[in-house]
Amino acid sequence: MNKATKAAILAVTTLLIVGSSVAAPRLLLKEESFDFGYAPQNSKVSHVFWLYSTGDDTLKILSVKPG
Amino acid sequence: MEKTAVAVGDSTKLEIIFSTRKYRSTVKKSPRIKTNEGGPEKRVHISTTMTERPDSTYPVVNTPYKVDMSQFTEKKVIRKKLEITNVSDEDLQISLVGWAEDYFDVKMPESVRAGKTVEAEIVLHKDVYDKSFDKSLTFELSDEKHSRFTIPVKRTVRNVRTPGTRAAGGSGGK
Repeated sequence: MNKATKAAILAVTTLLIVGSSVAAPRLLLKEESFDFGYAPQNSKVSHVFWLYSTGDDTLKILSVKPG
Repeated sequence: MEKTAVAVGDSTKLEIIFSTRKYRSTVKKSPRIKTNEGGPEKRVHISTTMTERPDSTYPVVNTPYKVDMSQFTEKKVIRKKLEITNVSDEDLQISLVGWAEDYFDVKMPESVRAGKTVEAEIVLHKDVYDKSFDKSLTFELSDEKHSRFTIPVKRTVRNVRTPGTRAAGGSGGK
C-alpha cells in the first residue's frame, strides 16, 4: 500500500468517525395542525401541541413567534 | 411552554392561545418555532371559523356557547353543564377532540339524536380551584362535514376565602 492510499484511507476513516459523533438535535411534531371549527368571537381558544426531541442532542426551543 | 430545553427522548407541551376578537369567517394562523435544530423554522397551523351567532349554528346549538366558570364569592364553582341540541334531521355521534386536560375533565355524551338535547359537563381539577384561566374544549360531529365546535372555558377567581388562608388574587397564585 503506497503513501497516498494510506492517507486517503486515514482521511475517509477520520471523516466517518467525526461525522458519526456530531450530535444533532431534532424536533418532531406528530400533530402539525389543529382545526377549532366554529368558535365564537371575542373569546380565547387554546390547543396544546406536543414537541418531541428525537435527535441525539438536547433540543432547545429558542423562540415561538405568532404567524 | 413547560420547558425550553428538551432532553433526548423527552417531550414538552406548546400551548397556542388564539384570541378570536372580532375576526370574521375562517382565520388561519401558523406560529413559527425556532430551535437549535438548524434549517428552516417549523410551523404549527391552527384554523377556526368565527361565528357571530354561535347559538344558532347548524347542525347543533350549544348552550351556553361560552362557558364561564368564574368564582367571585366563597361559593365554589367547580362544575358547569353545557347543552348540545341537535337541530339537524340525523342522529349525530359526538367525539371530544381536544380540551385542557390539565385543568378540567369533560363528560361528553357519545351521541345526540335528531331533535334532541344532551348534556355535557365540565368538572374542574382540584388543583386549579384557585386559578384563573382561559381554555377551551373542542368536539367533532359525525355529520357529512365533520363539523367541529370549540367552546371557550373561562375562569376568573377573586375574593375567595378559605379557612386559614388569605384571599386569592385574580391571577390565582397559590
